[in-house]
Amino acid sequence: MKLLVVEDDPDLRRQLVTALGSNNYTVEETADGEEALYMGEEYPYDLAIVDLGLPKLSGIEVIKRWRAAGKEFPIIILTARGDWQDKVEGLEAGADDYLVKPFHMEELTARLNALLRRAAGHSKPVLEFGPLKIDTTGRVVYRHNEAVKLTSYEYRTFEYLVLNAGKTISKSELTEHLYHQDFDRDSNVLEVFIRRLRQKLDPDQDLQPITTVRGLGYRFALTADKDSE
Amino acid sequence: MNVKYPLHSLQGRLLIASALILPIVLLIAGLALSKAYNYSLENAVKDRLQLQVYLLLGAVELKEDHILFPERLQEPRYEQINSGLYAAIHDQKGELLWRSLSSVLLDDPLVTEVINLGGITTGEPRFEHIPEASLFRFQLRILWETRGKEHSFLFTVMESDELLSRDINAYEQQLIVWLGIIFLVALLAQTLILSWGLTPLRRLARDLKAIESGSAEKLSGNYPDEVEPVTENLNELIESERKQRERYRNTLGDLAHSLKTPLAVMRGAELEEHELHSYQSLVSEQVERMNQIVQYQLSRAVKSQSKPLGKSVAVTPIIERMLSALGKVYRNKGVTSEVNLAEDLLFYGDERDLMEVLGNIMENAFKYGHSHVKVSGSHKNAELILTICDDGPGVTPDMRQVILQRGARLDTSIQGQGIGLSVATDIISSYQGEIEVTDSPIGGTCFVIRFPD
Repeated sequence: MKLLVVEDDPDLRRQLVTALGSNNYTVEETADGEEALYMGEEYPYDLAIVDLGLPKLSGIEVIKRWRAAGKEFPIIILTARGDWQDKVEGLEAGADDYLVKPFHMEELTARLNALLRRAAGHSKPVLEFGPLKIDTTGRVVYRHNEAVKLTSYEYRTFEYLVLNAGKTISKSELTEHLYHQDFDRDSNVLEVFIRRLRQKLDPDQDLQPITTVRGLGYRFALTADKDSE
Repeated sequence: MNVKYPLHSLQGRLLIASALILPIVLLIAGLALSKAYNYSLENAVKDRLQLQVYLLLGAVELKEDHILFPERLQEPRYEQINSGLYAAIHDQKGELLWRSLSSVLLDDPLVTEVINLGGITTGEPRFEHIPEASLFRFQLRILWETRGKEHSFLFTVMESDELLSRDINAYEQQLIVWLGIIFLVALLAQTLILSWGLTPLRRLARDLKAIESGSAEKLSGNYPDEVEPVTENLNELIESERKQRERYRNTLGDLAHSLKTPLAVMRGAELEEHELHSYQSLVSEQVERMNQIVQYQLSRAVKSQSKPLGKSVAVTPIIERMLSALGKVYRNKGVTSEVNLAEDLLFYGDERDLMEVLGNIMENAFKYGHSHVKVSGSHKNAELILTICDDGPGVTPDMRQVILQRGARLDTSIQGQGIGLSVATDIISSYQGEIEVTDSPIGGTCFVIRFPD
């Protein structure tokens, strides 16, 4: 999952990027509204965190223009004043949730997890697919109720496929959503991740959670258990 | 300071306007007067010349076909060359029968010209001004009957217009002088009237300067009826601004005082022996405390003065905006809302204040309710009554007053500032309103807010 952090205060931005990065998100950042507008329109983000008081272009204006350009990724606004006029204007401009500064990082990650899940059509934080269970809050994958040890990038790859279950995801889409813009797209790192994921999640090869669609990409083939939707 | 143009002052504008309009009015008046004077002078000339024709008629005698003149005419000017009065008589063929001695040096055509008599009807006098010859001419064609025979004669009398021109010139000069004097007097009077009429405004500006410089508190003294509403409103504004400033000052003072305590705790902790974990929790505790203080004091300071100029806000659109915004945030909970609002609900106060009250209370309903929120509003006994109910766990009667106080929160498992309700309570009481917590007909809590109109 690739997130965009738009915050002009360098310290808070650094803290956000570090905290979200350590939560297995790919994070890109900018300090001003104009650049944020450009990045949001040009790159495929899964969610944006936007401070309302930005230099050059206000947060509200950035959100309005993204929505006008047809961008549908969820947006969380950060507001320092915290009065309702600000919150309502932000939500009316197209934001999905708000946080008043100062906030706890746990609160932010809980909110953005909920938004990402909702965007993928799930309302509960734990998704179950037969023996596999994904806890999107704790960011842990269980197999037969035993935690599977995944690296950060393996988890990101798997989560993206799961949240887009049933859809064929091209390698380039995966790369765009998982890595920073300057990532070397020609490498076969992705194939390595997929192979390792298959080994770790399906050692007996009786589940086949990830299928390769030849020439097109990968697809998460399992359907969620009814009560985890 | 702006550069001052004359158009920037009311007096300048009015004076420029009248300085532009007055000459036009005076010019038109002058033209009308000179025209009327000309007309009456020319009429006098016409009457005089007509009289001369009648005198001539009386003087001549018709014998056979000839006209006979007396030796001397009564009017001596006919005998004097270039006297300014001339006469001539033509017969029906237009031939000159007689001309006065005075006219011998006159341009011949004026006298001897064969006149087309057909153009002149018998008995109808013709009077005209011939400016190129500087003459007025009066002509009368008459029919004389002797022994059954009709003779037609044309009598012409001419007078120089020099005298009249001189008269008119003198008159016009007088007119210009007097109109000029009127212009100056009118302008002077206008200036005096304006400066008298605008004195209250100048005094207002001076009084405002005095307030600005701090030597006066408010606008005092008698102002005319037209200005009084302005000064009253200004006084109200000044007063509310002064109160606001005082509140800001108090808030800043409170802020500084109350923030220094947690800061002191943190500074003290630097010197204490602390495990990393206990240091972290101490910092986090104090940060939370400071955050609450800042949030509380800010919302109190920003809160507007109640009913400054009697402005009203429509309540329904604000409730609808709040519901759609909160519905978005709490989309995962699937909260349904039910709205029951009377028509034309008005809140007499500031829109921000209403949003703050409704936002804080409605968010609680969304946060703590299970799946249903009910908002109703009505006007009763000069009160705006808004009720927000949820189907959550409810609040026990002994806790109902506590939750409205600053910093209280029953459920600490949900993140929040915990001061929302107390801010709402503060705003409501600043409008002399009331807030009450009751049981909800749908199972949880109801907040009933009353604002007096």
